[in-house]
Amino acid sequence: MNKILTIKLSRLFFMSALLIAVSIPATLFAAPQPPDAVKKDLLDKGKKVYYKRCVWCHGVEGGGDGPSADRLFTRPRNFIQGTFKIRRTDSGELPLEEDLITTVKNGLPGSAMPAWGEFLKEDEIIAVVNFVKTLVQDRSFDDTDEEVNIQEFGSNPWGTKGPYHLGIPQEDIDAGKEIFIKNKCFECHGGEGRGDGNPTMKDDWGFPIVAADWQQCWNFRGSRRQAFDPFNVVRTVSTGLNGTPMPNFKDQITVEDRWKLAAFVNSLCPRKNIDPLANKPVSDFLISSKFTEGKVATSIADPMWQSPDADPKIKAWPEEMKDNPKKHYIAMSGQITRGKRNFDPKADNLWVSSRWSSEENAVYYLLEYHIRFLSSDPEYPDAVAMQWPAHLQDLFGAEKPYFIFGDSKKPVDVWRASFLAKDYNPTNAPNPEGYKLDIKVDEFNGRGFDALTPKEHAPTVEVVDSIFHQGRVKVLLKRSLTNENKETDVQIPSEQFIPVSFLQWAGADKEKDEHMALSTWFYTILEPPLPKSLYYMPPIMAFVFIGLQGWLVWMTKRTRKMYDEGKVKRDIIPK
Amino acid sequence: MNKTFISFIVFVGGLLVFHNVVFPIFTPKEPGMILNRYVYFLLIVAYLIIVNIALRLKPPISLNATVVWSLGFYFYKFILYPPVPWTLFITYMMLWSIGTFLYISQDPETFREFRKPIAKTIVGEYKLARIVIFTLLPVLVGFGTYKAIYPTFQEPVELRTVHPAPPATTKVHGKNYVLESARNPYRVDEQDNYKDSFPFLDADKNEYMKNVTEGGTVFFQNCHYCHGDQLNGLGMFSHVFNPTPANFIDPGTIAMLRESFLFWRVSKGGPGLPNESTPWSSAMPPWEEHLKTEEIWKVILFEYWYTGWHPRTFDTEESYIGQFEKEGKKPGAH
Repeated sequence: MNKILTIKLSRLFFMSALLIAVSIPATLFAAPQPPDAVKKDLLDKGKKVYYKRCVWCHGVEGGGDGPSADRLFTRPRNFIQGTFKIRRTDSGELPLEEDLITTVKNGLPGSAMPAWGEFLKEDEIIAVVNFVKTLVQDRSFDDTDEEVNIQEFGSNPWGTKGPYHLGIPQEDIDAGKEIFIKNKCFECHGGEGRGDGNPTMKDDWGFPIVAADWQQCWNFRGSRRQAFDPFNVVRTVSTGLNGTPMPNFKDQITVEDRWKLAAFVNSLCPRKNIDPLANKPVSDFLISSKFTEGKVATSIADPMWQSPDADPKIKAWPEEMKDNPKKHYIAMSGQITRGKRNFDPKADNLWVSSRWSSEENAVYYLLEYHIRFLSSDPEYPDAVAMQWPAHLQDLFGAEKPYFIFGDSKKPVDVWRASFLAKDYNPTNAPNPEGYKLDIKVDEFNGRGFDALTPKEHAPTVEVVDSIFHQGRVKVLLKRSLTNENKETDVQIPSEQFIPVSFLQWAGADKEKDEHMALSTWFYTILEPPLPKSLYYMPPIMAFVFIGLQGWLVWMTKRTRKMYDEGKVKRDIIPK
Repeated sequence: MNKTFISFIVFVGGLLVFHNVVFPIFTPKEPGMILNRYVYFLLIVAYLIIVNIALRLKPPISLNATVVWSLGFYFYKFILYPPVPWTLFITYMMLWSIGTFLYISQDPETFREFRKPIAKTIVGEYKLARIVIFTLLPVLVGFGTYKAIYPTFQEPVELRTVHPAPPATTKVHGKNYVLESARNPYRVDEQDNYKDSFPFLDADKNEYMKNVTEGGTVFFQNCHYCHGDQLNGLGMFSHVFNPTPANFIDPGTIAMLRESFLFWRVSKGGPGLPNESTPWSSAMPPWEEHLKTEEIWKVILFEYWYTGWHPRTFDTEESYIGQFEKEGKKPGAH
């Protein structure tokens, strides 16, 4: 008995020593190894999962041509060539099985690929990944000539923690910026990383493709639902994205420098609270308009309008911006409900900040959104709009007009700013000055998605400033709170919740009329100035309370004295 | 050292350790034994009693009262699960405070003992305590006033009826449907017979899977943006809309609805809803504008096949299979 045990133990020891001996060099020196072979016994189960869950987008033969494909941007992956984006292996190589499993589990944020980790069981995911491997036709996971080199990425040198990964020293971020410039990342990703560098890129299959917008890191395909983790950037820079124009920089940039570059890329992404289900920032449903003493600045560059994108609760704002209005995050989607639908909107969010002045009797809304390339076709200008209920006084309770241009009973008032950029060409090099906009506002009423009527009276909404700068449009709108056109124009009261929504048209995508991006109804409120009593009431209350305390002391002392002098008898406890 | 002070340290220190070290162990991230939190609370109480008795600390009634009151606060704030709303919390704490006061005033002796340190603080026999408390309280009052005056705005809460009462009839593409008797013409067989069949691959082998495939095709060209690839209401645009798109996996949606109800909801979409269901912000299209009648029925067939739910039927009717009824066969006889 003992003998057998000894033999077994020594075998175990020998085997594990062998295993360690084999695996240590493999990880240390990243020696080439064969790809993870297909696990044949899982294929039946994998096939079942694939043809129930995946076939709709990825297609019967895995060609990325399922029924949904033509209406998706980015298109579903074509498996046939064995080209997989998110890997830890060298550029051009097949992925590890673990990479594919992680992709299936976390989905590809910013695309239609959802996270399957909470939906499918672990064994189903492993099975379907093995089935997907068999859909690769042009190369094979069982091929002895194939090899994969697993890359080493080191570890986070600053030890920052999720979800927000704050606290990376500024000098490393600055060093990262130098690396960004030296390696010409801006040629595709644009001067400030909004992916606005190159409008002509195609993927391996000839479909148009755009560079990632670093300021929307929750849309990074390889973000693994950890939007702010710099590791994702390190991995992508090291391995490249197979099938796309994104090359690898394994030999150009050292691992340490890749982390610094990642720190820079990550520092651009505003820290917002990410909804774990949608994997997008949570919308700020109440847009508060800040009361402004005197006049509101009419230049976007004025300090009055400078606010960080980050949520002040997550990342503190600089002192000089403390009193500026918050930039509210508005999620947008394509208009996929009525008429000509827009399945591939070009902007998926919009940022709004607002100020109002009682002296001017006017409210200002600064609308900002990212768009990589503008239109230069006068027939299809770019545009952004605010939509209001035209007759606020007729709305009862939570009632609102239909969110796509109102309805017959409840009309909407739309302020649309349409524009073309001056001297702009999408293929221009990054322009740090930005482009001036040739912009005009058209105002119209909507009584249904196909019933728009331009207003007949003189314009009331004014664009006081606008710019297109490094992939971001900024438009500052101004309107008087009230006017005499009560039938057609919204009359804006202060201190009341007013429904408002946002619309956006990408001219380069030939969007027009109801073919647009839109938000749902939000609320805006013109906040009143801080009441004066805020400054004198607290000390008054504190002093009153001090008085009360004094009275209490006096009373207690008097009672004691009366006890001591025998004027009053202490209560006697019966024994 | 003062025994009262030791007892105080035992309480505060013990609570800190328990809350930061032991509490996480009893409340794991994955929902497990939910009762554990209450066991944890009993452990704290037991700890306090045992330590105080073992060390013969005999804390004064004022400290006892503080401990009792604080434990109540701790219980309602952190232990009770699910967390109670703020107003209910206040009500519970009022009751708890009354209970604590009854405990203090159970007889004149304990009541006097309880008053003693308070009176001593007020007249200044405990000098430090008086300075601290008499400066802290006015500051708190001032701060509270500031918080109360400072204007804050939160968007109004909106309630909505998720499944409104359907109309008796609905007209789609010129044809009138009585919702009570309308049947899905493509539900020609028991759905469970096809749960292991493949869309596309089995589409030419049998009619049912052909219709499921066509329904799925419609779904993945039109519906998945909101209702999601997993039919769980988490499509790529779902986060934009309010109300959020329906989750068909949830037992509270299609599993408890009749197919004719779905037919009405799909055909008429958001604009067809009554006012209590906020038709103005529903992104659901009136699908009769985009789809044919057959496509609507097929997509409904697909949704049940994919999720594995069965449409709701009335108790009096057997699970119906439209086509079989028409042909005079008994439902389910296949």
